[in-house]
Amino acid sequence: MKTRLMSRVAFAVMAAVLLGAPVWGQAEFPVAAKTLKNGMKVLVQTDHSIPNVALYIFYRIGSRNEGPGTTGLSHFFEHMMFNGAKKYGPGDLDKVMEANGGSNNAYTTRDVTVYQDWFPRSALPLIYDIEADRIQNLSFDPQKIKSEREVVAAERRLRTDNENSGLLDEQLWATAYIAHPYQWPVIGWMSDIEHWTMEQLKHHFEMGYSPNNATMVVAGDVSPEEIFQLCEKYIEPIPTHAPPPPVTTAEPDQLGERRLIVRKPSQLPLVLVAYHIPQTNNPDFYALNVLRTVLFQGESSRMYQRLVDKDQIALDVSSSVDPAFDPTIVEIAVQPKQGVDPQKCEKAMYEEFESAKNATVSDTELEKAKNIRLAEFYREMRTINGRANTIGTYEVFFGDYKKLFDAAKNYSAVTKEDVQRVANAYFGAGNRTVSTLIPENPEEQAKP
Amino acid sequence: MNRARPGFHVLALTMAVLSLTSSAAAQTLHMPPHEKYVLKNGLTVLLLEKHGVPMINLYAIVKTGSAADPAGEDGLASITAGLLRKGTKARTAQQFAADLDYIGGEFESEAGPDFSSVSAEFLTKDLTRGLELFSDALLHPMFPQAEVEKLLAQSVDGVRGAKDDPQQVLGLYYYGYLYGAHPYGRPAGGDEVSLQRIKRDAIAKFYETNYAPGNTLLAVAGEFNGVEMRKKLEDVFGGWPARAVAVPSIPAATPVKSKRLLLVDKDDATQTYFAFGNVGTARNDPDRVAIRVVNTIFGGRFTSELNEALRVESGYTYGASSFFDARKAPGPFGIFSFTKNETTTPAIDLAVQVLQKLHKDGVTDEQLKSAKSYIKGQYPPNIETSRQLAQIIATHEFYGLGDDEVNQLEARVDAVTPEMAKQVIQKHFPSENLVFVLIGKASAIGPAAEKYAEKRDARAISQPGFWPPPSGASK
Repeated sequence: MKTRLMSRVAFAVMAAVLLGAPVWGQAEFPVAAKTLKNGMKVLVQTDHSIPNVALYIFYRIGSRNEGPGTTGLSHFFEHMMFNGAKKYGPGDLDKVMEANGGSNNAYTTRDVTVYQDWFPRSALPLIYDIEADRIQNLSFDPQKIKSEREVVAAERRLRTDNENSGLLDEQLWATAYIAHPYQWPVIGWMSDIEHWTMEQLKHHFEMGYSPNNATMVVAGDVSPEEIFQLCEKYIEPIPTHAPPPPVTTAEPDQLGERRLIVRKPSQLPLVLVAYHIPQTNNPDFYALNVLRTVLFQGESSRMYQRLVDKDQIALDVSSSVDPAFDPTIVEIAVQPKQGVDPQKCEKAMYEEFESAKNATVSDTELEKAKNIRLAEFYREMRTINGRANTIGTYEVFFGDYKKLFDAAKNYSAVTKEDVQRVANAYFGAGNRTVSTLIPENPEEQAKP
Repeated sequence: MNRARPGFHVLALTMAVLSLTSSAAAQTLHMPPHEKYVLKNGLTVLLLEKHGVPMINLYAIVKTGSAADPAGEDGLASITAGLLRKGTKARTAQQFAADLDYIGGEFESEAGPDFSSVSAEFLTKDLTRGLELFSDALLHPMFPQAEVEKLLAQSVDGVRGAKDDPQQVLGLYYYGYLYGAHPYGRPAGGDEVSLQRIKRDAIAKFYETNYAPGNTLLAVAGEFNGVEMRKKLEDVFGGWPARAVAVPSIPAATPVKSKRLLLVDKDDATQTYFAFGNVGTARNDPDRVAIRVVNTIFGGRFTSELNEALRVESGYTYGASSFFDARKAPGPFGIFSFTKNETTTPAIDLAVQVLQKLHKDGVTDEQLKSAKSYIKGQYPPNIETSRQLAQIIATHEFYGLGDDEVNQLEARVDAVTPEMAKQVIQKHFPSENLVFVLIGKASAIGPAAEKYAEKRDARAISQPGFWPPPSGASK
């Protein structure tokens, strides 16, 4: 089914692929950087291979900057940013952009809200005019807010309420965190989606959308000079205001395993397991990625070999980590086969973790993990879109896009002992949360 | 600048030259040059050198797809493709996985309705190993009994798991209900019943019958030396024995002549997923560019009439769209969206009205102009990587289309007139005899949906199969 119009994807799909996905190799490419007078940093990567441009704006505001009653506001805001400003009124932004050959999307995570424009270079000045307009002069039309609430509710029903993995994922985070704002879903609780007030919306805009709280990345058929000129004209005059207050709540150490069970009509069970790990810019980032690669990536990975191939109790097993400013979780998804007790899958998985703790991985496994990272680096870097997102993600989450070029060195420094150490440090029973879906079908459906 | 990324080096050097010509270059799409030749055994090879990223992509089309699955054994082509890497002359499934992962490579094999495809991707430095792995799977699969049973069992559960997410299976019910007994109505991946009927002998026979050099196209794109590549391909594929293959032709598909509606019950659903439409067009339809322009306006982008009505103006949904899945024989046309239980019929009514309005009012000059810019402006990222290019040259060859699909796209788009738009709406966008499929909570939405068709059918999503219900299946 073609669903490409389900654009404006809310969740961190791209970003998750990215930092979960690896970076490696000696490769470097030129990036021009400039910080505007209002504090916005602009990064430009020139590539003339196609006559197109990818423009990303990362705002450092996400659901971690929300609170009870306003959960989901960052994501709602992401939608409202397309619903009219001063020069480009309701509906104009998309119409004008598409009429000039461009398209757009955006995503919101627990940490950032990211706006994406893809367009032929002929549309450059227009795109800057649009972006400047909505950063400064977003309108808050009550009618648009009303209908957009419905759209977001539909998105929630699609991705969470009627989708088992989305439903279980929401429960997992809400259980793994008891203090820190990562506990609530990016899309927000339904009752909050229904009840945000105009004042809360306006406050959120003032808090998050200051130029010094944003980073712009432009990749494609452009020169740094022309981009910096456009920025001087359109972006630099936008006044700065106070960025969001720091998030000071730290998640306390987990004191023991947490478990929850969801029972609902379903054909297959599902298991999600979370372990707390440090934030993205922690030095253990690299060793953790190597460990995850050995355990979860590819059909030769230890977990696939054990659960899918040998024991034949699961259809699939995978792990993911979103880029994060604060200590986060690694999330493991196991899709058991029909009729398999999910605990059987858990047991097999924990045994594999134990063997990674008790002995170092082999030389071949370490080498394989590094080769996979190198190939994935090229996969991510071969499009202007991939480069724009990666450069921005490194700048925002590691504090400097140049860290992208250190990844080679950092992965190369990972030893078998490092991998064993992080396995022991983070993958203990007391540090995990297990969320399980058990099929519970009405009588008439249970019959074969 | 590091030599590890020669592509960027070249790009930087040619920057000045390109910037002088960029205004002209920006207006014209070009497929990179590529060559085509045929090995003695009949294998058609397409080579496209693309420097910049040190990777190589292989994309092979075996010209037999799921439309050739024997009745009752839906999924045979798909299972055959899936097993290629699961045990070969040289490797067990586990060894294949270990060798592929060690070089960070990717391997995919699947069957669609018109053809099966086998593809691989690896770094240029691993060319020899990568080619050897790819050819081992394509030329020498052994179909070990244990792996056959494993994949079949996984695939049955895969169908069950997909049914937990209506979005994943709406298309399968829709195609089945629209095409009935025509091969395009069958689920390419099989269903819970058909998969359990497939035996190893049938798989081996399907492979022997269809996987032959004369029935295969191989596209290779990426960073390599053409002369060396030709030699390597001759070494690797030259010995693949020629065999005659009779590819079954795909019967003509004609539009459904009366309204009908299939309601698939998912009792816990809080929203309804719906698709409706009729049989659409073939891949080589002479009107294809005009259809693309009109469908962009109607349901092919964010500001399309469907999305404007169902999302932007009413808030009924997160997205509404329309598509032509053009195939060898006329493929499906459909309108697709989803909405909460309470707004099911208002949303479907509105989508039907948007379709009727297209027939009544056509499209405006402004919409035409906008859609043309949109298609032209959005196309270049489709030919950015060697992965995309390998697939494009192979599928164009398969469907008998040439580079003009890309090279002439802008001119053909520009040539679409309001009169042509009017004609393709009348000819290709169905307006009567719509076929509806709804997945949702039947007790809540069923009575109101009865108005869409006098002929109605119903199933529960937990019942095996899609449509028609598999014969010989327990309830």
